[in-house]
Amino acid sequence: MRLVRDLGRRKLRSTLTITGIAIGIMALVVFGSMANKMNALIGGGSKYYQDKAIVSVGSMYSGNIQPLALSDVQKIESIDGVAAATPTVDMLLSSEGGATSMGTPEMITGSIPGGDKGLETFKIDLASGRELTAADADSKVTVLGSDLARRLNVKVGDKVALRDVQFTVVGIWAPTLTAPDKEAYVPLAAAQDLFVKSLPPLIQSKIVASDIATGITVYPQKGVSPETIKTRIEDLLGKDYTVMTGKDFDAMLGSFSAIFSLVLTGIALLSLLVGGLSTINTMAMAVAERTREIGIKRAIGASRWRIRREVVLESAAIGLIAGLIGLVIGAAMTTLFNDLGRESGNVLFELTLGTAATAIIFATGLGAIAGFIPAWHASRLDPVTALRYE
Amino acid sequence: MALLEGSNLRKTYRLSKRNTVEALKGVEISIEAGEMVAIMGPSGSGKSTLMHILGLLHTPDPNHGPAPELRLAGENVASLSDNARTRIRARRMGFVFQDFNLVPTLTALENVLLACEYAGIKGKVARDAAIEALGLVGLADRADHKPSELSGGEQQRVAIARALVNKPEIILADEPTGNLDSDRSTEVLALFRQFNREHGQTIVLVTHDSEVGEACDRVVKMRDGRIRDSGLRTGTPVMAVPAATAPATA
Ligand SMILES: Nc1ncnc2c1ncn2[C@@H]1O[C@H](COP(=O)(O)OP(=O)(O)O)[C@@H](O)[C@H]1O
Ligand SMILES: [Mg+2]
Repeated sequence: MRLVRDLGRRKLRSTLTITGIAIGIMALVVFGSMANKMNALIGGGSKYYQDKAIVSVGSMYSGNIQPLALSDVQKIESIDGVAAATPTVDMLLSSEGGATSMGTPEMITGSIPGGDKGLETFKIDLASGRELTAADADSKVTVLGSDLARRLNVKVGDKVALRDVQFTVVGIWAPTLTAPDKEAYVPLAAAQDLFVKSLPPLIQSKIVASDIATGITVYPQKGVSPETIKTRIEDLLGKDYTVMTGKDFDAMLGSFSAIFSLVLTGIALLSLLVGGLSTINTMAMAVAERTREIGIKRAIGASRWRIRREVVLESAAIGLIAGLIGLVIGAAMTTLFNDLGRESGNVLFELTLGTAATAIIFATGLGAIAGFIPAWHASRLDPVTALRYE
Repeated sequence: MALLEGSNLRKTYRLSKRNTVEALKGVEISIEAGEMVAIMGPSGSGKSTLMHILGLLHTPDPNHGPAPELRLAGENVASLSDNARTRIRARRMGFVFQDFNLVPTLTALENVLLACEYAGIKGKVARDAAIEALGLVGLADRADHKPSELSGGEQQRVAIARALVNKPEIILADEPTGNLDSDRSTEVLALFRQFNREHGQTIVLVTHDSEVGEACDRVVKMRDGRIRDSGLRTGTPVMAVPAATAPATA
């Protein structure tokens, strides 16, 4: 209580210092939340890719994917060590292409329900409705990811247009914080139709919709590593095919994750520096202002240790208050950005308890450490000299 | 045995390499338990410096002349560590200064409680003692007032309550009435007198107000860093040789 009163008597200076630290903490919270989201995204992908190999030609994300033939699936299935190979057709939900979103774009993905022969380990819970089954093969039905369902504002039983074709929503997945949140999952045949329709007419005429895939998901047999399978596929199909395994995915996105951590560390260091110096300054002035008070306290029996503790605690309180303010503003900002972004499918922030706790501990620790120097100075004051100080 | 006894007390302030002030030039002093003593002398004669040494706020200079000695109830306290001296100040001494005695952000009661806290007394015991001490100085009804809401005389009485609260062996006061008008002065002085009479509280008052001096049992007169008159009647055996007559050694 006394502590808060002591802060109160230097309102402007304390306010400025607290504002400074609060801004740093706010930045920490916002970027930390973004990093959480990114890491969840990358982590989810990493988990998904971990025990399989994905075969494609061209790059899925740049949109210039070239179709594979279903005969490739049979070729791969005959490879020694392959337990299952199942075709998929993936495309951007937007027919205009050129996704403007950060994170993962909204996608339509089609595959044969049960085509994984039960080998898929990346399981997604349902929030409502049901999964697709083999009986849906020729129907225009879809299961939507949580973010996509929310953006389209649909529920199970509603109709939804995917690339101008009406689908019935039969299920909605629970949030995974990763790519499937923005996916519309449809039966393979429906995806094949949509995909062919998106191709230039000249090419369309040369393709049989039911014979194409954009990717093949390959599940190795137990005890066979995806890397081994990758080599065998490459040997069989040649250089035009891209085979991606969990290792490739991690190598590709691990660096992305590292850059993010670096930015975060940079922000932390910057707020450490600015907030720390500002706190040292505030507390040094507070000590100077209270020189006589420290003198009287020392004279009537306050030990040096006690004076030090007083200054450090007050300094830590500045940090704590700033941390709480920064956290509240940061949390408000991430919520606001997420709400704004939801319209366009950009939910970029995930504020976790860990991030919040880190921010508070960081701010309080910063305050306490910054208090050490002025505290040391205060404790070394000669009581008599301090008493005479004007 | 004297309660507080000092000999060969010297203090030189070093303002710069060349410029030094000899504030105490070898002082000998003895204070008996239960005494109320005034230390008087012109401004700059070394009264405060002596009080700071007696109150363990400063240590006497050890580096020239005969070794200084300072005994509190027989124990040599001249060269204790800062922590040990702080502990003695907290538990066995009470202090009143001329001004700025109180922490401005704390109420009267909290200011008094500060002394309890430093002496290691907490909780209800401390609270009761603090309220009692404020009652003794007639400020029970001002317990929750901040210093800024109290008059100068009231502030000094709070400071006295704080000096008293731990029932210390000795109270040292440096010009406690220096900033008060004569009526308030008389009140504050009467309080000291009362505690001395009724509780046998040992009190050392630094003052240049002769009225204060007259109210005390004994007046020690200082001039130019030395004691001119120990105030002891000749024949009193306690201090046969006042410091002033000792050979100058500086
Ligand atoms: N901290 C100090 N630094 C330098 N000189 C001091 C200091 N304190 C006291 N003095 C000097 O020592 C002498 C004695 O001072 P002091 O003990 O305060 O006298 P009094 O209390 O009798 O007025 C004075 O000349 C004073 O200027
Ligand atoms: Mg003085």
